[in-house]
Amino acid sequence: MQMIQAVLDGSASAAEVEHFKLHMHDCLPCIEGYKLEKSIKDALQVKMEKKCCPQATVVDIRAKIGLGIVLLGFIVAEVKLYHLLFSC
Amino acid sequence: MEEEIIEIERYSEKEKYAVFDKEFMPHIDSMYNFAFRLTNDEDDANDLVQDTYLKAFRFINSFERGTNAKAWLFRILKNSFINDYRKKSKEPSKVDYQDVETTYNSVEDAEMDATTDLRTETVQDMIGDEVANALNSLPVDFRTVIILCDIEGFTYEEMAKILDIPIGTVRSRLHRARNLLKEKLKNYASSMGYKTDEMAEQD
Repeated sequence: MQMIQAVLDGSASAAEVEHFKLHMHDCLPCIEGYKLEKSIKDALQVKMEKKCCPQATVVDIRAKIGLGIVLLGFIVAEVKLYHLLFSC
Repeated sequence: MEEEIIEIERYSEKEKYAVFDKEFMPHIDSMYNFAFRLTNDEDDANDLVQDTYLKAFRFINSFERGTNAKAWLFRILKNSFINDYRKKSKEPSKVDYQDVETTYNSVEDAEMDATTDLRTETVQDMIGDEVANALNSLPVDFRTVIILCDIEGFTYEEMAKILDIPIGTVRSRLHRARNLLKEKLKNYASSMGYKTDEMAEQD
């Protein structure tokens, strides 16, 4: 079953994948096992809610490392450059 | 984490912010989701993500631009969780991983594949909350490998680096974690009246 899981996870070796392809169809418990493992993997990927990081946390992090100030600095510099280049 | 850091001045101040913004910030939702699944608490997840990102910035010179930023960040978060949060976790009871591993290393484990009678159709019928409850009921080390592999899609090689364990251990831990998850799902299915093979045989 570990080999079937590795194939399903895309982490099996070339030899394991080859073995899987050759013998899978002769082994009913393997087919059933593969289907069950895949259904659980799909359920975990698709059905479970994916929590997104609250915007307040993102803002906090940026503020704590001073990224906000740096970005503001870039914007101010760009605005000044724009005025310098395009104002009469 | 800190002791492994080699402090080379790789980036200028301006580059540090650029790397942080372009390579680290795009993974913040995955990081939060991982933190939430580990802690089962939104406040703890927030704190854990903040700590991780602040550490990542502090040690940014040890990150090589263009390498796997997501795996690098996940490793920091996992270490922060083990070192700081696990001790003060709000979860009422923790199962020691060694105990669990010993249990599932027994002969029972080898036979478990054959005895688990969970049906594919039953899993397909379950809703997200039911799957989440089963996952949350696993010991954290088992939960971690399933989250990394099945939800975040890391390869075994990446997981080995994140968890700092050999690939063989990743494989066997994942196998045990999945067997345990199947047991939880089966028990849950039975309690909720879903049909399992066991019940089908009785019909």
